[in-house]
Amino acid sequence: MQESAYFKEYHPISGVWDEMYGDAGIRAHYTKVIEYLSRESSDDLTRKEELAKRLFMSQGITFTVYSSGEGIEKIFPFDIIPRIITADEWSFVEKGIKQRLRALNLFLKDIYDNQFIVKDGIVPIDIIYSCPHFLREMYKLQVPYNIYVHIAGIDLIRDHDGTFYVLEDNLRTPSGVSYMLENREITKRLFPDLLPQCGVRSVMEYPSILYKNLLSLSPRQISNPNIVLLSPGIYNSAYFEHTTLARLMGVELVEGRDLVVKDQKVYMKTTVGLQQVDVIYRRVDDEYLDPLVFNPSSILGVAGIMGAYRKGNVAIVNAIGNGVADDKAIYIYVPEMIKYYLGEEPLLKNVPTYQLGNEDERQYVFANINKMVVKKTNESGGYGMLMGHAASEEETEKYKKEILKAPRNFIAQPTISLSAAPCYIQGALHPRRIDLRPYALCGPDGIEIVPGGLTRVALKEGSLVVNSSQGGGSKDTWVLA
Amino acid sequence: MLSRVASSLYWLSRYVERSDGILRMLKINYASSQDTVQEFTWEPIIRIFAGHDEETAKLGNDSRTVIRYMVTGKSNPNSILNIITFARENARGVQEHITKDLWQCLNEYYHTVKDNRLENALKKDDPIGVLDVLIKQVMLYYGTVEITMERGEGRSFMNIGTYLERGIQSVDILDAKFVSIDDNPDLLRDTTYWKHLLLSLGGYEIYLKTYRTGFEAENVLEQVVLNNDFPRSVIYSVNHIQRYFERLKSDSNLDSSRELSFLIGRLQSHIRYSSVKTIEDEGLHTFLTQIRTQLFGIGDALNIHYFANS
Amino acid sequence: MPDFRIEHITRYTYPSPVRDSANQIILYPIHDEYQEVIRQELHITGDPVVDTFIDYYGNEVGTFTYSQQHTSLTISSKLSVTTRQRPLPGNDIFPEQQWEDLKRLSQMVPYIDFLKPEYFDGIKELQAIVKSERSKEDTPSQVALRFCRYVYENFEYVKGVTTVETTMDEIWKLRAGVCQDFAHILTIMLRLVNIPARYVSGYICTNRHHTLRGEGATHAWAEAYIPDYGWLGIDPTNNCIANDTHVRLAVGRNFLDCSPVRGVYKGSSDHKLEVAVSVGYEDEAHHGSFLQEENTKAPDFKPVDDRPKNSYQQYMEMLQQQQQQQQQ
Repeated sequence: MQESAYFKEYHPISGVWDEMYGDAGIRAHYTKVIEYLSRESSDDLTRKEELAKRLFMSQGITFTVYSSGEGIEKIFPFDIIPRIITADEWSFVEKGIKQRLRALNLFLKDIYDNQFIVKDGIVPIDIIYSCPHFLREMYKLQVPYNIYVHIAGIDLIRDHDGTFYVLEDNLRTPSGVSYMLENREITKRLFPDLLPQCGVRSVMEYPSILYKNLLSLSPRQISNPNIVLLSPGIYNSAYFEHTTLARLMGVELVEGRDLVVKDQKVYMKTTVGLQQVDVIYRRVDDEYLDPLVFNPSSILGVAGIMGAYRKGNVAIVNAIGNGVADDKAIYIYVPEMIKYYLGEEPLLKNVPTYQLGNEDERQYVFANINKMVVKKTNESGGYGMLMGHAASEEETEKYKKEILKAPRNFIAQPTISLSAAPCYIQGALHPRRIDLRPYALCGPDGIEIVPGGLTRVALKEGSLVVNSSQGGGSKDTWVLA
Repeated sequence: MLSRVASSLYWLSRYVERSDGILRMLKINYASSQDTVQEFTWEPIIRIFAGHDEETAKLGNDSRTVIRYMVTGKSNPNSILNIITFARENARGVQEHITKDLWQCLNEYYHTVKDNRLENALKKDDPIGVLDVLIKQVMLYYGTVEITMERGEGRSFMNIGTYLERGIQSVDILDAKFVSIDDNPDLLRDTTYWKHLLLSLGGYEIYLKTYRTGFEAENVLEQVVLNNDFPRSVIYSVNHIQRYFERLKSDSNLDSSRELSFLIGRLQSHIRYSSVKTIEDEGLHTFLTQIRTQLFGIGDALNIHYFANS
Repeated sequence: MPDFRIEHITRYTYPSPVRDSANQIILYPIHDEYQEVIRQELHITGDPVVDTFIDYYGNEVGTFTYSQQHTSLTISSKLSVTTRQRPLPGNDIFPEQQWEDLKRLSQMVPYIDFLKPEYFDGIKELQAIVKSERSKEDTPSQVALRFCRYVYENFEYVKGVTTVETTMDEIWKLRAGVCQDFAHILTIMLRLVNIPARYVSGYICTNRHHTLRGEGATHAWAEAYIPDYGWLGIDPTNNCIANDTHVRLAVGRNFLDCSPVRGVYKGSSDHKLEVAVSVGYEDEAHHGSFLQEENTKAPDFKPVDDRPKNSYQQYMEMLQQQQQQQQQ
């Protein structure tokens, strides 16, 4: 079965965990797919690849890149070969994420209320109080069911021995879930019958679970509360996702200018007058949400919404102020939080992280900078990073100067190698580095994670950066039953 | 329905309708420019659809230059390219309120206009062929609206947009053509002149069937303003605005709908109780200016009462 | 135990109608043993329902909306307040002990919030000044008063040279400003030597016989945390201790935490702002006229315009904001 031309080319990267290839050859959970692929000629696969591109384009599953005032529409590159996760691996990841989220949620509740964890000296107070996302406006504010993180996109990577590590906790406005759903739809078209044959679990429940959770948050006990998805607008790169989710859940997609606050209640402006809004799934950042309280120049928000939120007249998803829990400097303390709040040993490991606000650690990192990845604590999406092993001396020196200006705002992690999975590139399979972002939904009934997620892939040979802004693509992610 | 959604559907339709008017106008005038006996000028077309400024003054009378400016001109806010970009942006903001088919159809229209091949074809191929490709996109759009869109509030706003835009265009074209006659009374007896006017509004065949006496200014005027069955007549547009507005009425916004009903009803009567004779007595230009003002008035009232832009 | 009658009027007028305004007011004097509110009457155009809550710093904050079209908005607050003189900190604890105590506080809530000196270009220069003004034997309260005098003597009190938008760098270059700027600098100086410092907004109440700076508008000063005493009010604009002639409305890290009135609305970006504060003793005839203070810094009323002068720029701003939303 390994006769096909595009398999001969496959050379696993040494020292890197390969999702498909083990010491004993192809791993069992990949065999069915490989058999299927082997029956296809490389022309067939290339045709499938083209079909995928065409489907994305014609359905408008695009994001817009703006340069010199002109928008260019692009598709998020899609690799047709699925990434496969075994039932055992999944059950571990699922448990680990649930544990982590339970702790993070308790942390948010605590930090905006009694601050026991600070008083007990587990998390240093200055890390909290110097975090720009620690919002004093949230102090003692009651949120429904004490749930802060309704939707989380926790990024996982696998080291050379296959161990899962958490790279980032995204607890504010995690994006990409529409690609999880669309990638699966495309795969159904590309490989007829393969999904049921392999026993792949469905991810299509995501919108209905999210909807159920949103519904449960309605402050008005009425049969038909108004749930809306608040989008920044059509120029946002994730706008496609906003429309997809709104459509799949059957909720109204609104922009800030559609909403108005009157007497501590939020209303939407309709052709027949104002209608009260009960639940807002917002994809607008905290800082822009209420020009009265936060950034006064925001055009995207709703003036006075914070007042309605404080009064409990509207539910906001995710809660405001979650950034204090996914700040990269606070990430360091998540394993401690798990022990502190749950009395459990953390299942998922953290990547070792150095806090550059700490003199000793900074010096260590500077001395070993070519083995480090340095990141800004409050940025995501692969922006503002320094990949020590790949940066020029000049870049490194410039970056160091940047760090010294505000060391608290930087952390460093040893370069973790990221596991590799086969990708179909120019007629053959090649290993490329991947990560995994499952989407967890927390509601009053607990945490639910649809079996799957978004596998991002660094399509450039040798690259370790999977972000779409840096040349990354994605794959359909299969969790086997 | 959200006010913004209603407004976007309305503007989406206005833009698409405008593009249709421009394209047909360009096509017929280009044809006209090719078999010109008398001096052909693009001036009225540019005036109606692009306004008059330094840039349009530089266009001159070269057909390809004018057509390219009107179709793919980036600096022309009313070029097909810009209009369709606006239309698509409006549609994008209301994607969950239009069918996927309609979205894909607009998307395709947009990509067709943006395609470099179109620009190249305008430079060297037959412009009519190029314009036909685009006109077909509009027809596809209308067909898709017709067979896929839900017959609800959204559809009513879309139709009001379409007919308001069409009414304004018919008034503008008529006004421009008749103004030219004031400068050059010979045109009054120029058969090709009227033929082109009717062709650009798609009313040539109806005219031939209705009037057996050849081309006369009065008959043309009657058809374009007062013919209930001619889909581009002013009265047809107003009748349809009225028809779709009736469907929007609901109990929760009585005051607003009453005001709008009044505006539409008044305009409808104004036209319905006019005749070629009374229009001529009143002065055609005065008459058309009044109609245009009232059409704009309806747009403003929608803005205030339904689109929350007070 | 003076009784004051205070009338504070804030009025916005707009050249064309505006709507959907949302506002926040911090106009409720602090209640404690040194300050008591006998009566407060609040009148706001349109009689909106004002909802109040206690913010993170313990201030009472009111919010209200006014959605109808309007061309002016007036917020009027009439107060009767009784103040009591508070004894000053004694000097019976060794200075070293006090500085040690302050060190301990630096990692505690709420003091941690009042210790971070903001960065500005002149910070090095200010650090040097702070160092030379401070002598080893001084207690924190003595240092605080010394700093207060420094600001009073080295900064010129000039109305209209600064606005809410003026940066610390500009103030530092000007060496001039109004009470807000004086208080601002003093808080930075105090924080540089590890004395927790708060910004205070309120009213200054004229002594019967001579006038003080900061009348006619809302006033601002600073508070320094003194071990075994608490927050000590210091007014660098008048070089005095803020005691029973100062009525406190709110405390916070900076002006933004305490702005007495702020709001956003939809409509024309033009507006005229008038603020008047008049103070009288309970037993005397009320005096004070409506002052027009174009440049008063007190109310921070920022318009969110959907009908801006330059639509293109507004559009670009919107594009930029939409694009920069972090999608994690």
